[in-house]
Amino acid sequence: MYARILEERKNSIRYAEKNSAPIHCEAASISGAVSQRACVYCGARVVLNPITDAFHIVHGPIGCASYTWDIRGSLSSGPELYRNSFSTDLQEKDVVFGGVRKLEAAIDEVMRTYAPRLIFVYATCIVGVIGDDVEAVCREAERKYGARVIAVKAPGFSGNKSTGYRMACDALMRLLPPRDDHIRKNGVNILGDYNLAGETWIIKTYMREIGVPVISTFTGDASYERLLAAPSAGLNVVQCAGSMLYLAQRMEQEFGIPWVKASFFGIEDTSTAIRQVADLIGSEETRRKARVFTERESERAARLTAPYHSRLRGKKAAIFVGGGFKAISLVRQFREMGMETVMVGTQTGKADEYEVLENLVSPDTVILDDANPSELEKFLREKGADILVGGVKERPLAYKLGIAFCDHNHERKHALAGYVGVENFTREVNLSINSPVWRYARG
Amino acid sequence: MSSGIVNLNTNPCKMCMPMGAVSAFYGIARCMSILHGSQGCSTYIRRHMATHYNEPVDIASSSLTEEGTVFGGEKNLVKGLDNLISLYHPEVIGVSTTCLAETIGEDVPAVIRRYRESRPECGVKIISVASAGYSGTQYEGWFRALHALLLQTDMDETRHDGLNIITGPVSPADTRALKNCLGSLGLSFILLPDISENLDGGHNPAYDRLPSGGTSLAQISRMAGARATLELSAFLPEAYSPGRWLEEKHGVPLLRLNMPIGLRDTDALLKALEDLGGVISGEVRRERARCLDAMIDAHKYNALGRGAVFGEPDFVYGIARLCCENGLVPVVAATGGNCPALKARLEEEIRPVADNVLAEKTTVLNFADFDDIDAAVTGNGVNILIGNSDGRRLARKHNIPLIRCAFPIHDHVGGQRVRILGYSGASGLLNTLANALISGRDAVFRADAFERYCKNIPTNAVKPACAQSGQANRRMAEKTARHPCFSSSARHSAARLHLPVAPACNISCNYCVRVFDCPNESRPGVTTKVLSPEEALTRFINIKASLPNLAVVGIAGPGDSLANFPETSETLRLVREADPDIVFCLSTNGLLLPIYAAQLMNLGVSHVTVTINAVDPRIGARIYKHVNYMGVKYEGEAAAAILMSNQLAGLKMLTEAGVVCKVNTVLIKGVNDAHVEDVARAARSLGASIANIMQMIPVKGSVFEDMPLISNKEHLTLRKRCEAVIPQMYHCRQCRADAVGLLDEDMSFRLREIASSRTQIVESPADRPMSAPVRVAVASRSGVVVDQHFGYAEQFYIYESDGLFTRLVETRRAPGDTVGCGRCGGGGKKQAYPGGEENSFGKIARALEIVADCRAVVAMRIGDSPSRQLKRKGIAVFSTYENIDKAVREAAAQCV
Repeated sequence: MYARILEERKNSIRYAEKNSAPIHCEAASISGAVSQRACVYCGARVVLNPITDAFHIVHGPIGCASYTWDIRGSLSSGPELYRNSFSTDLQEKDVVFGGVRKLEAAIDEVMRTYAPRLIFVYATCIVGVIGDDVEAVCREAERKYGARVIAVKAPGFSGNKSTGYRMACDALMRLLPPRDDHIRKNGVNILGDYNLAGETWIIKTYMREIGVPVISTFTGDASYERLLAAPSAGLNVVQCAGSMLYLAQRMEQEFGIPWVKASFFGIEDTSTAIRQVADLIGSEETRRKARVFTERESERAARLTAPYHSRLRGKKAAIFVGGGFKAISLVRQFREMGMETVMVGTQTGKADEYEVLENLVSPDTVILDDANPSELEKFLREKGADILVGGVKERPLAYKLGIAFCDHNHERKHALAGYVGVENFTREVNLSINSPVWRYARG
Repeated sequence: MSSGIVNLNTNPCKMCMPMGAVSAFYGIARCMSILHGSQGCSTYIRRHMATHYNEPVDIASSSLTEEGTVFGGEKNLVKGLDNLISLYHPEVIGVSTTCLAETIGEDVPAVIRRYRESRPECGVKIISVASAGYSGTQYEGWFRALHALLLQTDMDETRHDGLNIITGPVSPADTRALKNCLGSLGLSFILLPDISENLDGGHNPAYDRLPSGGTSLAQISRMAGARATLELSAFLPEAYSPGRWLEEKHGVPLLRLNMPIGLRDTDALLKALEDLGGVISGEVRRERARCLDAMIDAHKYNALGRGAVFGEPDFVYGIARLCCENGLVPVVAATGGNCPALKARLEEEIRPVADNVLAEKTTVLNFADFDDIDAAVTGNGVNILIGNSDGRRLARKHNIPLIRCAFPIHDHVGGQRVRILGYSGASGLLNTLANALISGRDAVFRADAFERYCKNIPTNAVKPACAQSGQANRRMAEKTARHPCFSSSARHSAARLHLPVAPACNISCNYCVRVFDCPNESRPGVTTKVLSPEEALTRFINIKASLPNLAVVGIAGPGDSLANFPETSETLRLVREADPDIVFCLSTNGLLLPIYAAQLMNLGVSHVTVTINAVDPRIGARIYKHVNYMGVKYEGEAAAAILMSNQLAGLKMLTEAGVVCKVNTVLIKGVNDAHVEDVARAARSLGASIANIMQMIPVKGSVFEDMPLISNKEHLTLRKRCEAVIPQMYHCRQCRADAVGLLDEDMSFRLREIASSRTQIVESPADRPMSAPVRVAVASRSGVVVDQHFGYAEQFYIYESDGLFTRLVETRRAPGDTVGCGRCGGGGKKQAYPGGEENSFGKIARALEIVADCRAVVAMRIGDSPSRQLKRKGIAVFSTYENIDKAVREAAAQCV
C-alpha cells in the first residue's frame, strides 16, 4: 500500500525552501492522523518530574500514572522519590461523587508519613470535568502543613505538550522566592536540561572547569532546596528552549536575570555555549579558561570521533524529534560527521525553528511538522535514508523498513550532551548504521 | 520504596481499559483503532506497546480539544474516522473511548450510526467499546472489546463443525503455539483474537502498515454457528463474556477452562478438545512427556524458590498453579485490578504446597500496587519474582531475580516472543525459574558456607581476608614501588608533589601552633600558601611538564586533609581527570577516616598515612589539647579516645580494602616514647604496611615548646625495636605540605616560581589577548547560528573580535518586540514574513539604532534598504548562515 498524505497535512510538509514563509506548524494535531505527539499532562510531567525530592501525585484514573512511571532517564545524585508513581487511581464512584476526598486523604497521609516539603498534584483530563477543585485542595494543604503543594492543572485536551511545558514553568515560578540582596553575579542556573544519562552533570562539570558556579538546575537532578536559590543567579543558561525559554523570560521579568540560549549538542555548539557563558558573566580568568578548555576538548573530541567519519561519510540521515532546537543541532552534528540530512521533522517545533531548518538543509530535504507514521514511512523510503534519529515509537518503524536507528529520546541511557556526548552519538550512529544485520535484511 | 501509603496507588500494577481494548483489536484482521479522547492516551499506549512488542504500533486519536470537551467530540471523531480510513484502508475500526469521552457523556454508538448513514458507500465495519480508564484495567478492556465485536457484527448462525476458542491477553508467540496445537488435533477452529502475526511480524521485503493477520470479520460472524465455545479464562467478567453471549444469544454451548498454563490446565484443555473429537498426536504426547521430565529435572531447585507472581488474574492464577505443580511456593500472588475470586481460588491451591515445605506465610493480594507487593515480598521471604518488567525495581531493591513473562517487558528485547502456554511453554518457564535460582545460589554458596562453617575455626588463608584479586594486588604493588615514601628504592627516582589545599584542622596537638603547617607531616615552623583545587590542578599540570619522573600526588595539609574534604576530593578528582595513572597519597590525623574511607578509595587514593601517637587514651590525653568532632569539642581522655578509635577503625577499613597504609608517630620524650611499640603493634594488627617514627621538634609557642628533644640515638634504637613488629621508614625527610620533587631534593621553592610564572605564559594560541578588536552585531535567536533576518531580529548578539578570537559582550533585545517562542502552544502564527515591508519599518529603524556602535552586522538575510543605510554609516554587512563564532570571526577579519 503506497503511503499517502492527508489533504489537511499538506501545508505541514514540503521540500526545504530557503527564504520563504515557514511551513504550517504550532497547530493542534489532526484527528485520526496518528500523530506522534503526547499531551499537556505529558509536557508538564516531563519538566517537573526530575525534581528528585518532590512527591509527584497524579490525580486521575490510573492510566496516566501507569504509562509515565519512571520512564525517563533523568538521574539523581540524591533522593530517588521522583522515580515512584503516585496516583489517586480514581474509580467509577469517584467520577460520580468527585475525587476531592480521595486527594485530601492522600495528601494528609503523605504529610503525616513523610512530611515532604514539596508536592506537585497533576490534574489530568477528567478532573476538571467532574468538578474537583484541585487548587482549593492544594491551598488548604499548604495552609494546614506549611509545605508547598502545587496544583498543575494539565488536562490532556487543553493544548499540546508545549502547553504542558508552560504550565510546569508557571508551577516553578510559584515555588521560587523573591530575589533578595544575595546575588551571585557570576553564578548561573541551567534551564531545560533534565539530566538524561547524567547530562546536567556533564554541563555542570564544564561550568566548574571554567570557574562558573552553578546555582540551580531546572530540573535535572534538582532538589527543592537548590531550586530556592535560583533567584540569586546572574545568568540563566537555557538548553532546551522549547520547554524552558518561557521560564527564563519570566525569571527575567521578575528577578531581572538575563538569559542566553545554549546548545550542548555537537562540538561547535558546546564550545560556543561555554564561551558565551564565560563572555557574559565571567572574569578575564574565566574567559581564558573557557578558551583553553573548549579548544582542548574540541580537539580531543574531534580526534576521538575522526576514525568513525570515514565509515559514516555520505550516509543519509532522517530526523524526527520533539523540538526544533534539537533538530537544528542534529542537522549540524550530522554535517560535522560528513552526513547529509534528507528528512527532518519535529513534534512541536516553532515557526522560526523551521525557518532555520529550511535554510540549513539542502533544497531537496523533506521538512515536516507533527508527522505521522505513514508520512515517515513514505519519506524514509523515498529519500533512501540510512538512519532515523527519533523516539521510541519511531524505532520499530525504522527497523521494519530496514533502516538503522539512533535513540535521541528521554529514555536513553547514553549521554548525548557535551564533548563526551559527541563521542557517544557518533558511536551510537555507527553501531547501527554499520551493523552487519542490514546485509542480511536488505539482501 | 515501600511507602505504606494507603490512600494513593504507589507504583501501579495495572494499566487502563483502552490498553486492553486496542490490544484485542490488534488480533482482528485489517483492523485499526482510534481512541476517542486526548492525544496523549493514544501516544502513551503506543509507546507502551511498541516497546514491548518491538513492532510499529499505530493507534489514532480523535485528539479532543477544549472545544470538543465542552461541546462534544462528534466532529473530531468523524474527522478521525475519515482520516484513518484514508490513510490505512482498514476493513474494521475499533473505537475505544477513554476516561474523557465517557465522562463528558459521548454517545459513540449514535455518532457511528450517523457516520454510517452519512457515508453509505463506506464499507468499513466500525465497532465501539465503552472503555473508560476508571472502570477497569486492561484485562477488562480486552474482554469488553471482544464482547463488543461479537455484539456489533452481523452473526451467521449457519451451523458448522468448527470450535470457537477465545483467549485472554496472551503473547503473540503463545497464540501461535496454541494455533499449532489446535491444528495438530485435526480440529477446525476460530481463534478470537489472534495477535500472533500483527504484533510479532517478521522482517519482509515490503512493510504493510495495516495489520493484515488476525481473526477476520467473516470468521467472527461464523462463531454463531460453531459447535462449541472454549473460553480460556477463569476470571473474565461474566457480563462481558463473549462465550456466554454466544451461548445465550446463538445457542453455542460454552465450556470455560483455565488458561492452559502448566501441566494440569494444559491437560484439561487437551481433554476437552479430545472430547470434542480432536485426535491427540504423538508429538503432543511426547511434548507432555518431555514437560514431565523437565518438571522432575527442575523440582529440587524450584522447591527452594519462594515466588511472587503479579499481573492479570488469569496469568497470576496459571503461573501460581504451575509453580505449585513443581514445588515452588508462590508465597505472594497479586493482581492490580479488582478480582476477589482470585484470592479464594488461589489460597486453597497454595496452602498445601506451602505446608509441604513448612513455608509459613503466604499472601494473595487483590487491587494491589507495587508498594503492597513490596511489603509482602519482604514479609514472606520471596526469592524470585515472576511477572512483567515493572517488577525490576523490586528485583533490584531485594537483589532477587525477575522472570519477565508478561506484558509489558520494557527493559529486555523479545517481549513478543515470550512463551508460557502449553507443555512446551511450561517446561521452558520451569527451566528458566530453576536456572535463575541455581545462578543465585551459585553466586553466594562459597562465601555463604565460609561464613556459616569456617568463621570460627583456623583457616588456611595466607594473610587476613582481603577483598583484593590477584591482579589488583599486583597493581597495588606496582604503585607502591613508584611511591618514594613507601619504597625506599623509589626515593631516588620517583618524584612527588604535595598540593596544599587543606588549611583547616579538627584537632589540636600540643606540639603544634596553627600559624605553621601541621607538624605531623611537615617540617616544623613552615607556612604554606594554600591553593584552591583549580589552582592545585594548574600547579600539577605545570609541575608535571617540568618533572617527568613525577609519580605521586599527595595531600598533606597544611592542616588535615580530611577536615577539608570538599577541597581534597575536588583536587584529586581534577588531577585524576588530567592524569589517569598518577598515584594518589594522602595523610591525615584519622579523625574523619571512617566517614571518608570509602570515598577516598573511590577517588583512587592508594596510599594513606595516618598519624597515630598513642593507642591509650590516657597517653593520648597528654598529647592532644582538644578534638572537634561532629560539631562538639572534646578534651582530655574523651578526645583522645574518640580520635584513637576512629584512627584504628579507619585504618582497618582502608587496609581491608587493599589501600597501603603508613602509620606516623611523633615521638615525644617522656610522653609516648615507652608506648611506641604498642602503637606499632596496633598498626601491624590492623594491616598497616610500614611505620614512620619521627622526632618531635619543639615549636615555639606550642604547649610542648620546652619539651626535651629526643636524641638521634634513642630515636634509632626505638625504630630498630619496632622494626621487629612492622617495617620502618628510615628515609623520611619530614617534608612540606607543598613539597615537590625527590625526597632528598625538595624543589618547592624553585618550582613554585616556575608554576606561578607558567600560568601566564602557557603556549596556547587561545590564550593570546585580542589585538584591536572590532564590534560585530549578529542577528541570532538561537545564539548558536546566525538565524535571523536583520529587520525581524528579536535580538542581537554583540561580539568583539579581532578576526581570530571572539568575545560575546552582551545580547541586545529589540524593544517592544514580542518574544514569541516561549509562548508555548499559545503562540500561533505570529511571524509574518519580510516582504510585508510597511509594518517592518519601525523595526528596521530600531535595529539600525541597536547596531549603531558596531563595525559590522551579520544576519541570515538583510533587505536592500537597511543594507544601504548601514553601509552609509560605515557598517559592513554580511549575510550568512553559519555558526555564530565562525561568522563573527570572518566578518571581523574583513573589517580589521
